[in-house]
Amino acid sequence: MEDKIGVFVCTGYGIAEALDVDALCKVATEEFSVPFCKAVESCEGPGLAAINEDINNEGLNKALIAGISPRRYPDDAFPDGVIVEPVAIREHVVWSLPGSEEDTQMAAQDYLRMYLTKLQKTKPLEPFQPDEEIDKSLLVVGGGIAGLTAAVEAANAGYDVRLVERTDKLGGWLAKQHKSIPTKPPYRELEDTGIDALIAEVDGHPRIQLYTSATTSQIIGAPGLFDVTLKSTGNGKPEGEVIDEFRIGAIVQATGWTPDDPRDNLPYGGLDDVIRNVDLEEMVKNQGRITRPSDGKEVKNIAFIQCGGCKDKEHHSYCSSICCLTSLKQALYLREQDKDSKAYIFYEFMRTPGKYESFYRRTQEDEGVFPTRGEVTDVQRGDDGVLNVTVRDTMLGKQIQVNVDLVVLAAGMIPNSADGEAIRALEDAKITLVEGDSETKKKDAAETVEKLIQHEGTEILNLGYRQGPDLPTLEYGFPDSHFICFPYESRRTGIYPTGAARQPMDGLGSREDATGAALKAIQCVEMTSRGEAVHPRAGDRSYPDFFMQRCTKCKRCTEECPFGVLNEDKEGTPLLRATRCRRCGVCMGACPERIVSFKDYSVDIVGSMIKAVDVPDEFEEKPRILVIACENDAFPAFDLLGQRRLEGNPWVRVVPVRCLGSVNFVWITDAMSAGYDGVILMGCKYGDDYQCHFVKGSELASVREKNVREKLEQMAMDTERVELHQLQIDEYYKLPGIFEKFTELIDEIGMNPFKGM
Amino acid sequence: MVTAGIAAPGKPDMTEQGTSQTTPAQFNDSGSALIDPDLDFIRTLSQQSGESYRKCFQCGTCSATCPISPDKDPFPRKEMAWAVWGLKDRLLQDPDVWLCHHCNDCSVSCPRSGGPGDVLAAVRRASVIHYAAPRFLARWVNQPRFVPLLLGLPALLLGLAVWLREPIGNALGFAVPTGDSIVYAYSYMYPHWLLNSFFGIFTLLALTAAIIGLVRFIRVIKAPKVWGATGPPDRSFVGSAWTAIKQIFTHDKFTSCTAEHSRPLSHLCVFIGFIALSVVTFWVITGPINPLLKDGFIYPFSFWSPWKLLANVGGAAVFFGCVLMIRQRLRNRDNAGLSTYFDWALVWTLFAVVVSGFATEALHYLRMVPHRHVVYFIHLIFVFALLIYLPYSKFAHILYRTAAMIYAEYYGRNGSGSSVATSRVGGTDDELHVQSPTSGGALP
Repeated sequence: MEDKIGVFVCTGYGIAEALDVDALCKVATEEFSVPFCKAVESCEGPGLAAINEDINNEGLNKALIAGISPRRYPDDAFPDGVIVEPVAIREHVVWSLPGSEEDTQMAAQDYLRMYLTKLQKTKPLEPFQPDEEIDKSLLVVGGGIAGLTAAVEAANAGYDVRLVERTDKLGGWLAKQHKSIPTKPPYRELEDTGIDALIAEVDGHPRIQLYTSATTSQIIGAPGLFDVTLKSTGNGKPEGEVIDEFRIGAIVQATGWTPDDPRDNLPYGGLDDVIRNVDLEEMVKNQGRITRPSDGKEVKNIAFIQCGGCKDKEHHSYCSSICCLTSLKQALYLREQDKDSKAYIFYEFMRTPGKYESFYRRTQEDEGVFPTRGEVTDVQRGDDGVLNVTVRDTMLGKQIQVNVDLVVLAAGMIPNSADGEAIRALEDAKITLVEGDSETKKKDAAETVEKLIQHEGTEILNLGYRQGPDLPTLEYGFPDSHFICFPYESRRTGIYPTGAARQPMDGLGSREDATGAALKAIQCVEMTSRGEAVHPRAGDRSYPDFFMQRCTKCKRCTEECPFGVLNEDKEGTPLLRATRCRRCGVCMGACPERIVSFKDYSVDIVGSMIKAVDVPDEFEEKPRILVIACENDAFPAFDLLGQRRLEGNPWVRVVPVRCLGSVNFVWITDAMSAGYDGVILMGCKYGDDYQCHFVKGSELASVREKNVREKLEQMAMDTERVELHQLQIDEYYKLPGIFEKFTELIDEIGMNPFKGM
Repeated sequence: MVTAGIAAPGKPDMTEQGTSQTTPAQFNDSGSALIDPDLDFIRTLSQQSGESYRKCFQCGTCSATCPISPDKDPFPRKEMAWAVWGLKDRLLQDPDVWLCHHCNDCSVSCPRSGGPGDVLAAVRRASVIHYAAPRFLARWVNQPRFVPLLLGLPALLLGLAVWLREPIGNALGFAVPTGDSIVYAYSYMYPHWLLNSFFGIFTLLALTAAIIGLVRFIRVIKAPKVWGATGPPDRSFVGSAWTAIKQIFTHDKFTSCTAEHSRPLSHLCVFIGFIALSVVTFWVITGPINPLLKDGFIYPFSFWSPWKLLANVGGAAVFFGCVLMIRQRLRNRDNAGLSTYFDWALVWTLFAVVVSGFATEALHYLRMVPHRHVVYFIHLIFVFALLIYLPYSKFAHILYRTAAMIYAEYYGRNGSGSSVATSRVGGTDDELHVQSPTSGGALP
């Protein structure tokens, strides 16, 4: 279809006072031969309605609105099928540059050129639709409180669920508990766990297909198209036998946790009467009384040692969030058993988050519960079997001792997760060990194998992903989730970790968390079925296209994709699994052959936008600085710059990119050739506490920037002309300073020698 | 194990009675102490200090806000920790609880509403009972159900004595004035010799009990280690006592309080008024044999007699103080702190003494007979309750607090308000250590 482009220029918001609107229109009509350019008073509310009316009346299929920031328009602002480019001349030009000046006018005209170029090159989007139908049923892995909740919630919302539990019983750890901590106001009394009712609901639910004693032996495919193979864990059927094969759309990983065992690390861990909180719970659940393991005598006094009694930061250095509450609960078990009993709770920090503080207070009110800060240094067994506990640094003295019958260690939670990336690295290293073509490589591989050997055989999901069979993990082995914005998002689209597998949490927290995860899984299958991306570019209907004839099988895209979208065949050819894709464009930035493109975002489109700017020659002494800004944080920071009326820089031209990881370095050399005097890349914070919406895009950009510098050296350019900044949206106030320094630098090193060539 | 044992490890068996040789300061030593909480004591403290003081999470706000707590090992934070753990012996041997004037600044600031001020008050009550001789009497005095017995017994005895005053007088050789001789006198009904002997006997008993209690207490607190010292200080004991007594008379500790402003005033009124009444009473008792009296002893005094004026002004002061106390305790509960039977018994007894005293006086001037005799009888019973039960009631604080304040002065343990402490402001890290709730929770 032939393009019918229209341009609208807003005159409100002070735009007409600051800019020559006719001159702007001339850019469109004369330079770009756009037949339709109209000055409108406003582009919001009735103004927007009038624009849409014009679009319909004129039969436009592409439109540019020079006015307010794209972030100011609602989702459904424009007619379907029309490609609209809003250009923020209000925020980026009028509000941040002095009015009625030549440089300001030039900036506005350049932005018009850039976006008209983009508009000309953008093709209509056709949402990705695979050959096969998208399956909307869900797989829930794990039958504990989180898994059961996710299954019930999804099923009640009308989605078919297959629930897989490794053991022969549902209920997980909660089913092994005698009582649960209070879950409702006034948060004072212990409650029944409520797990039986939930199990019963799952058991009889027409939408839930239940598999116990089963595990996922293989999951291949992508969201909407996952093919799952289940095998037996040995109860009833022979171990390893395939139980079922089916297709599902998304996965909730609720694999739960395993209690830590700090006893090995403690000098007194070997004593019979030193047990863990889980052991005590099981004892009360099964026999109803607390007795001493060594002689079966009824227990009168207990010392609870918090943080597993383990000060070894290497061993277990994070808070499991439930241990304090569990010890308080178990102290009440003891107090119920014997009104003259004493429960000592020695802690470093008593953590009872939120409303659970009320439960803590209620426990403190009990005359026989003694929570106190202190460090347990030793436990000695006396002749009479009494355990003598030594505690340092208490409010009662530098060192105190108490005599008890039982010591209970508050053991923490270790997530039942597998580090997919490590497993893959181990596999690769093993292959190199055998097939490596040099001794150094083999030596390195041997080291890697030694370092990662603990991951051998830890697979849980068994995903058919090039980047490993399970989710990547963060510190402490919790599956990666993009915790900054959305807690359930993992780096594997359509797979949502939840419950204690994701983060230490209690039963109530798991219920809430699993409900959220079920919702995210539903959202995933629904959006996937419409060919839309999920978080963070939710609703995006573009998808990457690989021009395979030119692929050199360099594997950069398959390795660098943050989401494991691309599988490989034996030769290393990337195999696109489009429904896994988050549309960040990191592959586009990675590809040296530039074969990756989106219909509305490509190396050519952005490169052309950069080159569309009218760069004055060096005698005019008007430098041009190209800012390539991440549209998640840095680009909106320019909006804020204008909104706060901070001083922008008239030499700057900003180009938004989906992610700094999608920046193809050819743009930078293009910019240099086009006469820009410098390029600033602005992306999110990276590192451990990354802010990057695509996990490692800005980090990748920082690595690639080094290559860019090399390239600049080859061009005999000053490498200082390229800078990379990490900028959060709320750091907009830093922008003027960054520009000032950069223009000073340009003054110092001089204009781009390629200018005008 | 009987009670809050604070024995060296390996010697867990301790008897009650505070015979343990360990003392509060010793708990601050680096030595290790075996701890066994006394649940009964916790129950008692819970009952006496209102809501659950066990909600304390040892933040130390109480000590930080206390205007009179010393910088080193300040109260009431450590006492709260001990109370939470039911460490009965430590608390009963802790002189710091007596340095507290219950101004309630700490309770008002407590983020957990744990009422440290009320806890210390409950500990003082327990201390009064603990040191009293005989202890059962102290238990009686502090339980409302014994009121009929405690008031009825002296009433019965005094009533019998008055009824049988003639046979007793004849037997002992004392003259019993007749009603006709002095129309408006009391002495024909309540002869001097009778009242003097009746109250004299019981006062001697009460005095003995008070001395025993005080000696028991001083035995504990005179030890240098209680005060964190290694030996006796090179201060003069008499000088320290004089300083402490000056403090008591000026109420200068009391007035540093911010939560409850009327408390120092009401206490000062009662304090001064009570002293005035005591002086007049002493004068009256010793009147017949006092060589200083030139014109002979005439009782009752005339209204314009300086003694009578002093008594009336003193009585009015006590009355005013009592009214203020009662009003504050009823109306301003949050700031005044918890009022237990321990408190009310003393306040109401005092109030009853002054009210019945003034009523007697008024009836006397109104020439109302026999009303004045009846009311005077009631007055005497309340005087009995106030004075004779002193070692067992809250009134015993005049013994223990005075002793504690004298020894605190002697050992230089003073709050930030005093001159001694001023020189210690910005003291060593070690001293400041305790003030910080994040400093590892340990006492230095």
